[in-house]
Amino acid sequence: MKKRRLSPGAVLLGLGKWTFLIFLFVYAVFPVLWLAVASLKTNGELMANPFSLPQVWQFQNYKKALAVSGIARLMLNSVLVSTAATFLNVLIASMAAYTLSRFRFRGNQVLKVMFSSGILIPLNALMIPYFVLINSLGLYNTMGGLILVYTAIGIPISTFIIMGFMASVPEELEEAAIIDGACFYKRFFTLVFPLSRAGVVTAGTFQFLTCWNEFVYANLLTSSQAVRTVQLGIRYFTNQFATDYVSMYAAIIISILPSIAAYVLFQNQIIAGLTSGALKG
Amino acid sequence: MDVKREDRVGIVVFLTPALVLFTLFFIFPIIYLIIISFMQWTGFDTPVFVGWKNYLTIFNDKVFLRSIRNNLIWALCAGFIQVPLAVVAALVLSYRPLGWKIFRTVYFFPKVISAIALATLWAAVYNAQYGLLNGLLRVIGLGHLQTNWLGTLKTAFPSVIIYWLFYIGYYMIIVLADIQGIPEEYYEAAEIDGAGRIRQSLCITLPLAKTSIVTCILLAMIDGLRQFAEVYILTNGGPANRTTVMVLYLYKAMQNYSYGTSSAAAMVLIAIGTVVILTIKNTLGRETF
Repeated sequence: MKKRRLSPGAVLLGLGKWTFLIFLFVYAVFPVLWLAVASLKTNGELMANPFSLPQVWQFQNYKKALAVSGIARLMLNSVLVSTAATFLNVLIASMAAYTLSRFRFRGNQVLKVMFSSGILIPLNALMIPYFVLINSLGLYNTMGGLILVYTAIGIPISTFIIMGFMASVPEELEEAAIIDGACFYKRFFTLVFPLSRAGVVTAGTFQFLTCWNEFVYANLLTSSQAVRTVQLGIRYFTNQFATDYVSMYAAIIISILPSIAAYVLFQNQIIAGLTSGALKG
Repeated sequence: MDVKREDRVGIVVFLTPALVLFTLFFIFPIIYLIIISFMQWTGFDTPVFVGWKNYLTIFNDKVFLRSIRNNLIWALCAGFIQVPLAVVAALVLSYRPLGWKIFRTVYFFPKVISAIALATLWAAVYNAQYGLLNGLLRVIGLGHLQTNWLGTLKTAFPSVIIYWLFYIGYYMIIVLADIQGIPEEYYEAAEIDGAGRIRQSLCITLPLAKTSIVTCILLAMIDGLRQFAEVYILTNGGPANRTTVMVLYLYKAMQNYSYGTSSAAAMVLIAIGTVVILTIKNTLGRETF
């Protein structure tokens, strides 16, 4: 192979490329790392020099964070709400996606357009209607209310993602099943649903992240510590910890640990889901 | 497939839950907002029809006008700074440089952390006394530039919107996936014609990845219009309403029991969102959502 001579332009371009890549890399991780280190210092050390490493690693900040914030309960609530809302959402969206992607009937196209346009509605604008609706259903300040809202708001995007996967299951397979006498429900549960597993998992992962990270409606529709989720907890850290910044940082780190753990474990799933082109429209 | 008679019941059964939820949480709320936006209502008493009064009130309110302006700036920055950055990153990573998978993983990482946690983290970064940013400025000898980033009129709004512009991972991955699906032969042909990498990127990659790029612009701009958590945590709209946004405005109106003006503000937000979506679709491409 001919050895390539590097022109000054190419060197400059290469330099620019790596500076760009590394800048974005540092930007994505450095603040979190800084916060993690700061959460192990004393308040005095933090004030004196935001960059120093702690003299003694102050693990009691974490004990204090757990005690003051009541975060364990908030986490449990988040797990319950997010799991239930993800399960319901994915089931309902898969059922709708099955009918919309595989059957030709009047109104099919209209429904598809309707569901997809739901993806782009700025949901935060709907605070008053959701508040009135949840109140009148008697679900204010209940986990059931949050589960219902979260299940519903994810329907458009989940249906859209799963439809893409279901459309690619060959029609011949289903026709063969019909000849074997499989009914509508049997074809869905034993054939099309399992074969679109990748899409269901992708939609489910996104739905779970959305639920876990949701703040606006958690804030609007709950009022007591017993049903609050983690995201709301973070909002109250500033009040709870007052000037004890290091313990507050510890609480923030605790609250994002599950997301980080989930990402490390499921990163291939998450990225594969995105890379499958499901979201590109 | 064509619908067989025995499948009809199944189709209805399978569509009903999604349709009920969609009606309750997407269609009904918008109709409800339209109606309430013409009412005076505290949320407790009987709503009274007041015509366009609520709309006149908010359009005469400097705070609301500023929140529209802030949201538009936010949406434009998201669509035309953040997404292009993501596209450049995707182009660079599509040549699979050393460690590209690690870059991809790390870039996406902030997306899994909630907006609230990130905003709280950035409040610590911007903190005037012991924050990361002022500390960094002292270390590199630019100590005179230190300021109370979120408390100063001039710096507050830029500080609130700039930090997340560089969190590009989500859009980068969508575009990168699209680019990686482009058949190799196109590039081989271009290579034979003597086109360099930059030329290839501009003439082959970008046009073929257009759908995913436009989708990202749409998602990013809507994201810019519906911002709430970031501002709520970092500044709550202050100082002197410099950082207010539409959702914060309608939230505060709701907290003040002005359901009518809050609904009018919500309708303006939905209208602006619709105009933005239609404009992007008509100028850049329709093949998305």
